[in-house]
Amino acid sequence: MGCPCELRLFAASATIAQHAAATCISEAARFEQKYSRYLDSSVTSVINRSAGVAATPIDPETSGLLQYAGVCYEQSHGLFDITSGVLRQVWHKDRQTLPRQAELEEITRLVGWDKIHLTDSEVFLPEPGMEIDFGGVVKEYAADAIAMRVKSSGISSALVSLGGDIVTFGAQRAGAAWPIGIVHPIQKESAIATIYLKDMALATSGGYERYFELQGKRYSHLINPHTGWPVDSLLSVSVSAQQAVVAGSISSIALLYDRQQAIDWLDNSGCSYFAIDQDLSCYGNLGG
Amino acid sequence: MAQAAKPSPWMALTSAALTLPAFSASVPDQVEIGISTTAYRESDQNPQSVLVGSVQRYDININQFYLITPIGRDWGLALDLSHESMSGASPWGTVSVVGANTQLVMSGATIEEARNELSLGITRYFDTASLGFSLTRSEENDYNATAMAVNGEWDFNNRQSTLAAGLSYSTDSIEPSDALSFGRTLKQARRSASFSLAWTQVLNRASVLQSGFSVTQHNGYLSDPYKLRDIRPRQRLETAINFRYRRFMHRSDSSLHLDYRYYHDDFGIGSHTLRSAWYQNLTDQFQLIPSVRYYSQNQADFYVGGDDYGLPETVFQSSDYRLSGFGAVTFGLQGRFSQRDWSVSVNFERYLSAAGYGLNASRAEHPGLLRFSLLSFGFDVKL
Repeated sequence: MGCPCELRLFAASATIAQHAAATCISEAARFEQKYSRYLDSSVTSVINRSAGVAATPIDPETSGLLQYAGVCYEQSHGLFDITSGVLRQVWHKDRQTLPRQAELEEITRLVGWDKIHLTDSEVFLPEPGMEIDFGGVVKEYAADAIAMRVKSSGISSALVSLGGDIVTFGAQRAGAAWPIGIVHPIQKESAIATIYLKDMALATSGGYERYFELQGKRYSHLINPHTGWPVDSLLSVSVSAQQAVVAGSISSIALLYDRQQAIDWLDNSGCSYFAIDQDLSCYGNLGG
Repeated sequence: MAQAAKPSPWMALTSAALTLPAFSASVPDQVEIGISTTAYRESDQNPQSVLVGSVQRYDININQFYLITPIGRDWGLALDLSHESMSGASPWGTVSVVGANTQLVMSGATIEEARNELSLGITRYFDTASLGFSLTRSEENDYNATAMAVNGEWDFNNRQSTLAAGLSYSTDSIEPSDALSFGRTLKQARRSASFSLAWTQVLNRASVLQSGFSVTQHNGYLSDPYKLRDIRPRQRLETAINFRYRRFMHRSDSSLHLDYRYYHDDFGIGSHTLRSAWYQNLTDQFQLIPSVRYYSQNQADFYVGGDDYGLPETVFQSSDYRLSGFGAVTFGLQGRFSQRDWSVSVNFERYLSAAGYGLNASRAEHPGLLRFSLLSFGFDVKL
């Protein structure tokens, strides 16, 4: 999945644990094969190649994820848009100069979730060059799906971690919650805060890796699809919810807002969160 | 008129997420059943304390079975069955002897009696809440009881807090055996209604605290018809508050449980219960749980050490040892062996009571205070 992954579980025997771990690894591989935009055979690549040409038949899992992405689009007032990946062609680290307005207008023509035709069984991207990217949704969903697999193999307590997204269920032995450290943005070896999870998921978005330098200034990889310009966002946001996919959407959407609006969005989101600003000041009602 | 609140992003996203295949995939139904058998043995009375009757107290054997099964995605069913067989004698009354200790009038040792109980409960599970309803029926040759209860639980603060509320109602009827031969009351009834509330809070990663309170009102015949002289009020209001603290100790892989309960009723009885248990994980599969419990109560307003037949039958009085002022200590040890799908447990308890153990004992210790031992075996399995 392109990021460090970890699985911790309490099982009655090593055999049960190994069996569950094997199930998880194969499930993670399945998501990788199906949704990675780097693989020509993935569903993502097939849909993107057919942009402007024909509709692609999709299964319930894919249509469910796309419909979920649509709800994210509505809840974020269009900021979270899985068609906005094409903006990477304009805003990338190898650029030497800032893009001209005409360049931005041409690329934003290809962005817009509301332009997509989506039904339960097929999806169609009307303009050639349009692309969708499941990246903002599928990694967290994979964590949820893997956690459900582990649960159904009879394990009562586990922690599943894919990159910064964590799902826990059950508790550590004798009822203790799982302690999760939020990595300090600068001192990567230490935690800036510790959060306790019991039957909850935690998703973290952001971080210093998501920036590039252009003409002496730092720009975020996250682009506002309405304006076409990078967002002046918070540094990192961690959100807890019962499903990693929900926690992930809330934290991703928060990073698409400018900093003060992001805090307002998180305060009204209905979830507990922990946010770190560019100056390393911390906000939120999660953890200690 | 207030406008319906716009759903929060969390609500909208969660509803959408729950339709995704991973969440609607059916987790295999886990039916769980369990059986247990318990031997309860009260120690014999000191023959010096018995004026007439048997020195043997009660022996009870209890056999229990339970079954829990999910029904569909949102419902659960629980079934409990219990069969008890008992034999032995109990105090009928007390006789005060001038210049000597009070003595017991014991019943003769009885032939075996049995009690059967059946309980059925159904629960509806929501995302962060549950609602349950249960019905229980208990029958023995002289006593029947029917009870129903409603229970609800709600999780808040990302599951860090839980509120539980319960309401129950029961109706009992008693038809004492050999009523005519012994001049006992022929048939009586009573009703009870109870309300309880509890708040559980995750304090930090290693501790949880639960605080609760309950109130119960009884109406009807509350006296013991088998006693020679036992006249109690026809109403009783009971209240209790309790606290339960659980703390996990990471380094020793163990956990401490501390429970405290304060009880008070309008019979004038107030009591304290303090229980401490230590859950020690010895290996991944084996757990040892030693425990100790301390109990103290003061006597009821109408408690008398020796039955007084001089008082008219309109005056409340009872020499029941359970209404006297006394204290009790229970030592327990449980061992538990668990595998993925099943577990077995063995539990031993020794209970000792004496007036001197209590904080507010009756002036004269009731000769009928109990001592008992209990040994039980349990087995449960997930199918």
